[in-house]
Amino acid sequence: MDRPTQQPAQPQQPAARDMVYCHECENEWYRDEHGLTCPECGSDFTEIIEADHDPRDERMLDEEGDDLPDLPPLLHPFHNHQPWRVMPDPDEGDVNQIQWRQNGPHSFSVTGTIYRSYTPNQHGGNEAGHDHDPPPLMGFANIVQNIIGAGIGGGQRQTQEEANQTAGGEATPGTPAAPGATPNPQPNPNHQQGGFAGGPRFHYHQTARLFPRDANNAQPHLEPVDDMHNVIAQLFNVIGGPMVQDGPHADGRPQQTGLPPIHPFAALFNTLLNPGNAAHGDFVYSQEALDRIITQLMEQNSTGNAPGPATPDAIKALPKIKVTLEMLGSDNRAECSICMDEVNIGEEVTELPCHHWFHEQCVGMWLGEHDTCPHCRKGIMDHKKQNDSNNLDSSNTTASNTREPSDAAASSSSDPTSHMPGSYGTIDAETAGDPYTAPESPEQQRLHQQQQARPSSNRQPSSSSAHSDGSSGGLGERIRRGLFGAPR
Amino acid sequence: MSAGSKKRILKEYGECMNDTPSGMKINFDEQNMTEWEVLMDGPEQSVYAGGHFKLKITFPIEYPFKPPVVSFKTKIYHPNVSNDEKGSMCLGMLRPEAWKPPNKVVSVLHLIQTLLIEPNSDDSIEPSIATEYKDNRKEFEKTAKDWVKRYAK
Repeated sequence: MDRPTQQPAQPQQPAARDMVYCHECENEWYRDEHGLTCPECGSDFTEIIEADHDPRDERMLDEEGDDLPDLPPLLHPFHNHQPWRVMPDPDEGDVNQIQWRQNGPHSFSVTGTIYRSYTPNQHGGNEAGHDHDPPPLMGFANIVQNIIGAGIGGGQRQTQEEANQTAGGEATPGTPAAPGATPNPQPNPNHQQGGFAGGPRFHYHQTARLFPRDANNAQPHLEPVDDMHNVIAQLFNVIGGPMVQDGPHADGRPQQTGLPPIHPFAALFNTLLNPGNAAHGDFVYSQEALDRIITQLMEQNSTGNAPGPATPDAIKALPKIKVTLEMLGSDNRAECSICMDEVNIGEEVTELPCHHWFHEQCVGMWLGEHDTCPHCRKGIMDHKKQNDSNNLDSSNTTASNTREPSDAAASSSSDPTSHMPGSYGTIDAETAGDPYTAPESPEQQRLHQQQQARPSSNRQPSSSSAHSDGSSGGLGERIRRGLFGAPR
Repeated sequence: MSAGSKKRILKEYGECMNDTPSGMKINFDEQNMTEWEVLMDGPEQSVYAGGHFKLKITFPIEYPFKPPVVSFKTKIYHPNVSNDEKGSMCLGMLRPEAWKPPNKVVSVLHLIQTLLIEPNSDDSIEPSIATEYKDNRKEFEKTAKDWVKRYAK
């Protein structure tokens, strides 16, 4: 991984100090500090590193895949990932902006900008064992670049040119650099090739560590190259998304400015990688995100099992009664429990099937949203709904054929009471076990009957309605009670 | 907000004045009657004894068709009070689907008091506190008392 690309930098070191390399332990040190014997292992199998001959490179080329001594190869996700190996060495003319700076007592960084033209599929078979393995990062970058390239070209170009004009502006010694060099690939549109069609050009930084890490002293931030977040961040540098890199910038300058607005891909990845909202649809990666989804689901369903609104017709059809002495409480006062206004004897109120009563306007507003009695939660639509659907059914059949008479005959024959006055009583029989429904007084029965008869006066009055009430009104009530518990 | 809602809130305030639950004080602002500030002492028989809690009761425009919103302005360690800046308490009759117009603020105040005495760990908004309340009552009481000292004095 350690490219010889930093070598042109070395002659520019202020004081050309000799670096010595130990072939035994791969240690590196300055000759004028420790001499030619390795201070680490005592070996004298050492070599002075020269610009045109770097033993480290030989070693890495010889033992490919084994060049990450810090981690066992299997633990290192990219131990075989060497996308830059297939590239030819840069020419001297390709390299500019060489910068050498001291980061700390034992650490230096060399930063250079190298302009390369590279097309991922050009490397052919000259690298045995690698020709079947095209560099994934660049291949993917290339694909994405081709998809979106046109859209982001402008802003990127400008940034690039500005950066190039700023002397040393691109020096980023803090860029993740160990062990070796981290490519910071960016499209480099301002040389020879215009656009992206011929494959992206890459402009990358390299930071060399010229001395082993000192375990006892603070060192500049040198991250391993395989931090997934960094890899993706760099990928999005290629395609134009302004992912912020985690690594601190030693000179405090933002690494890149003026990038195009958040790219949708970048935004997507940002969302996925942010642990705070580590969720993808209903798929979550953290407890926090799971909690949030559960909360959301609960909120969505909070009214899911509550009955919907009552129909305006059903509300209108509710009987109006005059307040009587018996309806007043023990202290001879009564109020509408919705508006808390007192009601007087003779005032007209609306009574629900459960015999709770309210101001017409008050209860209308409530029933318009919930088909429940504000007191006991019994719906007003139980039988009416059945009634309506039955009306609909039979009128449909009436329109299409003439089955109605036989239908009516069938129902009347099967239920002889249905035509009798007070047939509504079948409902009472059905709901007699319901402690929340008081038996109807004869007067109320009459009211009900009038009301039942009115909408269906042109056909068999209440035959089918009473019938269906008898069979399913009770069921509806049972379901309601099962869902909401005993009415309050 | 309709005149009816305002009228009812006024009436309820009058009712609360006549029958304020013990240890409670209601600050009522005629200009902004939809937001009540309630100062409440931690009930003597609860772990919150000695604490003074500030609550806000906000009445929605649809009141009484929608429930009032109760939030603790004073931090409290309680399974049924959200442990965030909202400090919201939402259970029982305060739930939108359980609310009925005949419910009154007085009963809401009583509910709050009851819940301070006996938290409802089966219907919690803070599951971790509820688990602690159920499984490690000593630890729960310790933290709750500690919070009273820290935030509710």
